[in-house]
Amino acid sequence: MLSMKNISKSFATDNVVTHALRDIKLDLSEGDFVSVIGPSGSGKTTFLNIAGLLESSTSGEYWLDGEDISKLDDKGRSRMRNQKIGFIFQSFNLIPDLNLFDNVDVPLRYRGFNAAERKKRIEYHLDQVGLASRMKHLPSQLSGGQQQRVAIARALATSPRFLLADEPTGNLDSSMAQSVMSLLEDINANGTTILMVTHDNGLAARAKRQIFIKDGQAQELMQGHHHNIHNLAAV
Amino acid sequence: MLELGPMLRALMRNKIGALLIALQIALTLTIMVNAIFMMQERNRQMARASGVDEQNTFYLSNTVFGENYPLQSNLARDLDQIRKTPGVVAATQINAIPLSGGGWSMGLQTKPGDDVDGTGTAVYFVDTQGITALGVELLAGENFSESDISWRERTSNKWPPKIIITQKLAEKLFDGDWKKALGQTVYINNHDPMQVTGIVKSLQSPWNGWDNTEHASLVPSQLENKGSRLFIRTEPGRRDALMPQIEKMLADSDKQRIIRNVKTMTETRAESYREHQATNNILLTVIIVLTLITGFGIVGLAMFSINRRTRQIGTRRALGASQWQIMRFFMLENLLISSLGVVLGIGGAIGLNIWLVSTFAMTPLTPGLLLVGCAALLLVGQLAVSYPALIAARISPATATRGRA
Ligand SMILES: Nc1ncnc2c1ncn2[C@@H]1O[C@H](COP(=O)(O)OP(=O)(O)O)[C@@H](O)[C@H]1O
Ligand SMILES: [Mg+2]
Repeated sequence: MLSMKNISKSFATDNVVTHALRDIKLDLSEGDFVSVIGPSGSGKTTFLNIAGLLESSTSGEYWLDGEDISKLDDKGRSRMRNQKIGFIFQSFNLIPDLNLFDNVDVPLRYRGFNAAERKKRIEYHLDQVGLASRMKHLPSQLSGGQQQRVAIARALATSPRFLLADEPTGNLDSSMAQSVMSLLEDINANGTTILMVTHDNGLAARAKRQIFIKDGQAQELMQGHHHNIHNLAAV
Repeated sequence: MLELGPMLRALMRNKIGALLIALQIALTLTIMVNAIFMMQERNRQMARASGVDEQNTFYLSNTVFGENYPLQSNLARDLDQIRKTPGVVAATQINAIPLSGGGWSMGLQTKPGDDVDGTGTAVYFVDTQGITALGVELLAGENFSESDISWRERTSNKWPPKIIITQKLAEKLFDGDWKKALGQTVYINNHDPMQVTGIVKSLQSPWNGWDNTEHASLVPSQLENKGSRLFIRTEPGRRDALMPQIEKMLADSDKQRIIRNVKTMTETRAESYREHQATNNILLTVIIVLTLITGFGIVGLAMFSINRRTRQIGTRRALGASQWQIMRFFMLENLLISSLGVVLGIGGAIGLNIWLVSTFAMTPLTPGLLLVGCAALLLVGQLAVSYPALIAARISPATATRGRA
């Protein structure tokens, strides 16, 4: 469902050009759960942003769900993000002025669902993460783990095929991290493809596939052979 | 999908900034609408016709300093010379000039007696060419004839038997029916009878702010004064050339007097309403400045709230908002705040207007003007917020994952 070929990204700032990604090649199939690990500054977020259409690559080819991303304008990319992709962020990114109900409602309104449909989905997904009773609460009234669960409900409310998570447990203590990870595993078990950036090797190992990024170059770690690094291009 | 509900709830949690801007809009509307209303009132006053052919008339002062000067015969000689000048339509001696700010007023009443209520009127002493020289329109009755004109000394308190009055004055004296006035006797100085022998359409008094400014009377007298004014009407387009020519002719013909203050009615009108015009300019400046301040206030608040919400905007973009939807979010938010301001402002504008009307006896504000004011401020709000909204729309979706840069 996802195919990247020779994806490169460079940032030009004040005479300095940073090559954040070099020649990334990746194919994901439906139902994959891929974790992305690597040192800080290696390009993980950049990779995720490009995969999630939050920014464009400098060069290369990217197909998502049968669409050539380079052919899409801003409106098309926005629609694609809204309909096919769910996002989970390290710092949750709930909208602080909106209660949980209205937060989960945000992507549903962009989707154009009617009020009844939106209400049904919001209640269902908040219930799935165990927060249905706190719909009228503001994000600031919740713990970090609870906030991340609301963010997951929000990401799933539009029924995306593809879930992107950038260090979803980065701001959580280990027990909360475990519960969020279990939630992601359940979601994946229900068929959603997940791409998750993490710096926690233990959590990364629970994914079906692992990608290691260093200096903007990606390599897939073969399952069970963590020290045996193959070049992705060879996979 | 419009997002009014969540937007309102979010606004309620961040009331202060929005409320301050709403109040500023309310205040702007209050002042704007009433200032425009006052301007309109003044414009209406300025638009009133004086009744005089202003484009083609001018006047001058004739001040005699010679001893034993034959005032009567020399006035006749002067008028004769002026009237014979090619391009002159008519000329008269006159005691006061409409709109000039200085003149005579008297009371007129329909019954004699000290206790009878009268009506104020401006008094213009003219001769047989008075009506033509001023350019006023005779609606009924007839002009004065040569035999009607009498000489009047400076200290005299006697009144000739005939008077021509304006339509408005006739209506005031005769229960709203000016036609009834013709041939009737009116009393001046409480007791002195004068017969109304003519009615002119309109002729304003020398005082533009007077309640009775449309009340004027023409009295067939010539003043035997050392200081007098001559009022001259020319053929269209010849006034400016004739002014210096007649001034020179009069000055050269008689060295025992000075010709001064040669002035057109056009200038007189401009001077008369100079304060009105200045006040209107000030009001207009106030409106513009206030609107600009409000506009910049809106820009400031929007920029501030967009800076504060950069991460939120990135997140909304990540969740599927298009650039246009982000822009619309801020335009709509401004519309909500402005609408509140406009609603408060309607109350304020009406309140201020009620106070103005009761204090200065003005006519009340029209709903049309109020609506135009509301629409104008909503438009100002949308214009002011469009630039910040455009900046918001350009925030990259990647802001959602990048730290606060
Ligand atoms: N907007 C940007 N402008 C310039 N350089 C950037 C920008 N975003 C990221 N980078 C650089 O790209 C590299 C990769 O960053 P990132 O993908 O955030 O790494 P990671 O998520 O692995 O820590 C870093 O060197 C970072 O400084
Ligand atoms: Mg990162």
